Amino acid sequence: MKSIYKLIIAISIGVAATTTSCQKLNIAPTNIITPDIIFSSEAGVNSYLANIYRSLPIEDFKYRPDGGDGGRGFNPDNPWMNFYHAGAVTGEMVGPFGGMDIGGGFGYWPYGSIRDVNFLIEQLPNYKAQLTEAKVNALLGEAHFLRAYYYFALAKRYGGVPLITTVQNPGAPLEELQVHRDREDATWDFIGDELQLGYQLMPETSQAGRANKYVAAAYKSRTMLYAGCIAKYGSVNFVDGDARSGGFVGIDAGKANGYFTKAFDAAKLVEGHYSLYNKNADKVQNYVDAFLKSDSPENIFIKQYSINSNTAHSWDATYSPRYMTANALSRAYPTLDFVERFTQLGITNSDGTPKRFTNLADIQAGLEPRLLATVYFPGATLRGLQFDTQRGLYSNFSGTAAAEVAKQPAARAYKISGDVNTLFEGRRIIGFTGIKTSGDELTRTGFYVRKYIDYAKPINTVDLYRSEQPWIDMRYAEVLLNRAEAAFELGNSADALTSINQIRSRAGATALGGIDMAKIRNERCMELAFENQYYWDLKRWRVADVVLDNARFKGLMPYYVINENKYIFLSEPETFGRNYNFEKKYYYEPIPGGELGKNPNLYPNNPNY
Amino acid sequence: MKQLISRVLLGVCVLAASACTKIDNYDAPDASFEGRLIDATTHANFLTSQNSIQVRMEQVSWSATPTPQEIPSKFDGTFKDTKLFKGTYRIIPKGGAFWPIYDSVRVDITKGSSHDFELTPYITIKNFTQSLVGTTLTLKFDIDAPIPAGLPTIIDAQPYVNTTKLVGAGASIRDYSETKAVVINKEFIDMSMADKSITLTIPNLISGRKFFVRVGVRLNDSFKSSNFSEIVEVDVP
Repeated sequence: MKSIYKLIIAISIGVAATTTSCQKLNIAPTNIITPDIIFSSEAGVNSYLANIYRSLPIEDFKYRPDGGDGGRGFNPDNPWMNFYHAGAVTGEMVGPFGGMDIGGGFGYWPYGSIRDVNFLIEQLPNYKAQLTEAKVNALLGEAHFLRAYYYFALAKRYGGVPLITTVQNPGAPLEELQVHRDREDATWDFIGDELQLGYQLMPETSQAGRANKYVAAAYKSRTMLYAGCIAKYGSVNFVDGDARSGGFVGIDAGKANGYFTKAFDAAKLVEGHYSLYNKNADKVQNYVDAFLKSDSPENIFIKQYSINSNTAHSWDATYSPRYMTANALSRAYPTLDFVERFTQLGITNSDGTPKRFTNLADIQAGLEPRLLATVYFPGATLRGLQFDTQRGLYSNFSGTAAAEVAKQPAARAYKISGDVNTLFEGRRIIGFTGIKTSGDELTRTGFYVRKYIDYAKPINTVDLYRSEQPWIDMRYAEVLLNRAEAAFELGNSADALTSINQIRSRAGATALGGIDMAKIRNERCMELAFENQYYWDLKRWRVADVVLDNARFKGLMPYYVINENKYIFLSEPETFGRNYNFEKKYYYEPIPGGELGKNPNLYPNNPNY
Repeated sequence: MKQLISRVLLGVCVLAASACTKIDNYDAPDASFEGRLIDATTHANFLTSQNSIQVRMEQVSWSATPTPQEIPSKFDGTFKDTKLFKGTYRIIPKGGAFWPIYDSVRVDITKGSSHDFELTPYITIKNFTQSLVGTTLTLKFDIDAPIPAGLPTIIDAQPYVNTTKLVGAGASIRDYSETKAVVINKEFIDMSMADKSITLTIPNLISGRKFFVRVGVRLNDSFKSSNFSEIVEVDVP
């Protein structure tokens, strides 16, 4: 009997224990943020989007086209070295790169970020109740825009890439995860469709740094113009290989006009919603301010920086000499070849002798305001100090410029120096701002970059990680240039001329009477200088291997002639003596080796890799 | 205490003896591959340079999608690599100024493997003569194409001058070489007989030096590669 009681007690304790146990554990984990916490409020979605925007492949001040020390390119480990600029391998500038060091890319492969966007697109429709249907659609449009932006960065590097639009399950069979490359035309079509969705779904306006429908249209003009050029020029100048015969790189020439039409139509959509910055009657100051004033109606899509959030860049400190900054190191300098896109400088008389100038600054007389606002010439002023750029001294100078430049350095009668403090007859041989050939920190070409330089910053605050002016990734001038180029490709030269002359009028240049492709391209190179566009332009026009065929570039060397008390300027090879050679295979970058190892379906690799 | 030390030592010995027993049993790269690149028009070795022909090899016995490796050709038109892994390779020469080969060969590479490739040059350089007057060197030559139809555009012709006999693309004195190039930019079939007879002039060579000189004709193919002449010695008195 006693044992039955014991049994009953034991059973009832057992039953009581099992029925009450394991209940408290069945709750949502409190230390993990689940999708419904993020996506059920607009603030949550914004925080999720902020991360995607932050990783967006914007080729801004900090972009390192060679990847940089960490090899990541877009968020490099040494973000202060802003002079590692794509313009410094293409002849816009010369500088830190020893040659064509960026042709092979840095293995950019942002499928992690694309997965984040895919997850957003998959989740958003489940939260229509909390966010409202209109908001969900607007956010979806933004997500499609962002996805297109990532794929554009891939397509212009690799051609056709795997188009992944769903959130892959890591547990899925390997064959499902090893996605094949898509054809190049399919990749561009996808980008065009995504931007079209963005245009349809997004609202008309947005806060600075975020997309709206006209942002999507502007990027559609950029991307479709790129695709059209691949079709048109890539089918003439190409490298043969398995990837090409499979359609993974290269587009049928017959599709070119379709892309150009899309580019033109998209550019036209932006008209009336943004406009060129034109607030100051002083054309030079106006063009300078166009890159610095936050109220510019020209800014379509920008990236912002702040010292407080540790995201500030170093443009001011890495494009001006220490003389005009608190602490700086510059290393990339505009070439005379770039300056001569605007006009031939009047530095030589008709008899071949160098023209004499009373003041250094006189070289700027009569030049296009946009050029003076893009490049600091010898004699220009920044923060109250003059660019006293001087290569050296001549006691006296006779003969022609050409004969003097052709001489071997040892045979020349000039005085040059590697130290700003060296004197000759009581006079500095070189200026505080150069030109010396030892060390990189003073100009090697006679010029310094002016675009984006915040001239109003007090000298003692110009330091590394102290520049906050936003990067304008898309501005209305580019939309006009895209429109002009697409229009001309489609045979509509009247529209092209109107667009180009709008840009020239703002630039303070004379209006063109007629138009051709060379003029349109030259206008683009002048207007978008130092904005990381020229490298891609050379690639899509398929002229990089011609323009950069063991190319060397020139500088403008000012000398002071003592007995005449005058300055002369000689056009000489830039003093780095760099050689730039673009191999045809660089029109596409190689698929990253690590990815090829993980996914054999990415083969064939691009031609000649 | 003594006992403890000897026990510890015993333990160390046991661990030491049992460690490192896994040895790498994969054969060291002791296979080799060499051969000649033969000019199909002359049956002599192909005249090449550095930065020119590469023998591209893919070890298909290792992977279906192997990472390619390349053996650069030597200046004398031969190639050799003695540190290869044994296996089956898919091999194709590329990068030089010859009509592309589309069918790669498969070779089982072991110690002492060899294979010669016959290549048809885009351009052959004939009647190459040089004459030195004072310090000015004049180089004359004619160009011919074994297969004129479909030949890539001829970009330019240039001399290559160096102080060693390793002279060619990327191994020359710029002021005597690249800057003395003559731009052509024509299709071979559009060139007249006079166009095909090319003269290059190099003034101001340094007296008392010996130079090694050759000429090259560059074509606008995928590699922008050049056909080269033989190398001659020039003594500047």
